[in-house]
Amino acid sequence: MTELGRILMVEDDPNDVELTLTALAEYNLANEVVVTRDGAEALDYLYCRGSFATRTSENPAVLLLDLKLPKVDGLQVLQQIKSDEKLRMIPVVVLTSSHEEKDMVASYRLGVNAYVVKPVDFHEFVNAIKELGIFWAVINQPPPGSVPKRDLT
Amino acid sequence: MTAGPTRAWTSLLARYGLAVASVAGALACGLLAQSQGLHNVEFPPFLIAVSATVWYAGPGSGILAVGLAILSYDYFFLEPRYTLYIHPSDRPLFVVFIAFVGMIAWFSSRRRRIEQALRQARDELERDVAVRTQQASLLDLTHDTIFVRDMNDVITYWNRGAEELYGWTAAQAIGQRSPELLRTVFPLPIDEIRAELLRTDRWEGELDRTKAGGTVVAVASRWSLRRDEQARPVAILETNNDITERRRREQEIQRLNSDLAKRTTELQGTNKELEAFAYSISHDLRAPLRHMVGYTELLQKHAAALLDDKNRRYLRLILEAAKRMGTLIDDLLAFSRIGRVETRTSAVSLDALVKEALHELRPETEGRRLAWTVAKLPDVYGDRSMLKLALVNLMSNAVKFTRTRPDAEVEIGRADGGDDETVVFVRDNGVGFDMQYADKLFGVFQRLHPTGEFEGTGIGLATVQRIIHRHGGRVWADGVVDRGATFYFSLPRSWWEPKS
Repeated sequence: MTELGRILMVEDDPNDVELTLTALAEYNLANEVVVTRDGAEALDYLYCRGSFATRTSENPAVLLLDLKLPKVDGLQVLQQIKSDEKLRMIPVVVLTSSHEEKDMVASYRLGVNAYVVKPVDFHEFVNAIKELGIFWAVINQPPPGSVPKRDLT
Repeated sequence: MTAGPTRAWTSLLARYGLAVASVAGALACGLLAQSQGLHNVEFPPFLIAVSATVWYAGPGSGILAVGLAILSYDYFFLEPRYTLYIHPSDRPLFVVFIAFVGMIAWFSSRRRRIEQALRQARDELERDVAVRTQQASLLDLTHDTIFVRDMNDVITYWNRGAEELYGWTAAQAIGQRSPELLRTVFPLPIDEIRAELLRTDRWEGELDRTKAGGTVVAVASRWSLRRDEQARPVAILETNNDITERRRREQEIQRLNSDLAKRTTELQGTNKELEAFAYSISHDLRAPLRHMVGYTELLQKHAAALLDDKNRRYLRLILEAAKRMGTLIDDLLAFSRIGRVETRTSAVSLDALVKEALHELRPETEGRRLAWTVAKLPDVYGDRSMLKLALVNLMSNAVKFTRTRPDAEVEIGRADGGDDETVVFVRDNGVGFDMQYADKLFGVFQRLHPTGEFEGTGIGLATVQRIIHRHGGRVWADGVVDRGATFYFSLPRSWWEPKS
């Protein structure tokens, strides 16, 4: 029996959201994905406030984080998560278009768990998303306090 | 050698001759007086003769004169005459005579001593005057400006250097007050300068003055205070150097520095903008491209069954074009990063870099007959990752353009770069190029072969050039169409040679 953890995706580009969800859907990983469109909304989700005030308080199994976001950008979200006692254990994967070394260095300095540059080639992109999804939402044991895994059926 | 003794003999002869002659003269006078019937007047002439001899010819001839005088007087004028017998009653006369002569001799010797002392003093004075005159004229010879003024600033000495600098002659300057004559502008209140001069006996500073012709001159001025025996200040010696030119250059340097600082700020701003631009390319340009490829592939997957071959080919061409653009963007970003990223220099073994590059190129060379000839290469100082990128680009170019050769050969070696440079080349027996287009080789997006024949973005050699230029070196190439090409790069030797 395979179980699936919840994925929180922070991505402002609807095309990227759609392509990522398509890639995850191909491997039946899309059911437990929550999408937020900017850094502020992501933080609202994590702190159960605003439109997420009524959700159960468990953390996602993994956070897929874009860096270039409106309002609160990805590095600020990362910094907030890693400096909060309750959130710091959430695995964060930066998923970005940026090849820039300084973004990578800044992310690792803030304690990111993985840094993935989105490949232009769609096959590679699908593979990357699939492997990320399988590893973090299925194989990896999420820290205590995460949303319980659900049956992959 | 003979002049000295001869003169001494002549002088001796003259002195003793004077003794003999003066006594003979006195004797002649005595005899003449006697023949005229005058008696008792014979003694004074002898006294005079002996005194004169002692006075003028010294004690030696004086003794001779005294002897001769006593003998002649005794023989010719004392009873009994014409004998040398001296009556006891006449002896006091001779004693008085000798005492008198002794006194004269003593006076004479004192006179000589005084004369000699006077002569010596005069000679010394003359020498002193000569030395001082010479020193004063030496001060006049120097082109440095030196002048002396008294405590009321009235000029008392003015050398040639002062005349040359300020245009006033000594005759015009001496007697004038220097602050008025030279229209001096002091950097501090004059009272403070005076106070320091009196406290430390010296002052140094920069003054602005006006020449006779009206032009303003900047001088470095040094003052020394002269005091008399009672330590009262009496004069100020001032030396000046013209620093107008130096000050002009300093101002020029200051101006250039501030210009440079401004330019640097501007450049930093431009660099920031470029960085933001590159970042935006990196992020924003790649995203839509990824979407194009993604949706096209989805379309290809979902609609493949509905499409004919022609339409499937269109989809394939859209995908190829988009991927090619992705490669272009990535290469362009790598190229721009070379200009923006700071170099990290260290000792780099080119041998090791070539080995790593060969390893990286293995996928491209697999299944091909390609012979590498790699000579021993020197160590250089530079940015390791950049130099490696340059080598990989040159070597992958060689691999690419020898693809049409059944037996490809690539040689990497070291060429003579003289004392100043280390020159490394990469030579291949590939398709080569027309030297007519050699200047286009290293330009961005410049390609000498159609894309269909040899793939590539036209950024590889531009990247090599940029890397080598950042290291202070040069790149150039030799080639003949269909006969291969050689690419050279140089690194300045002084730049990397380890400092001992």
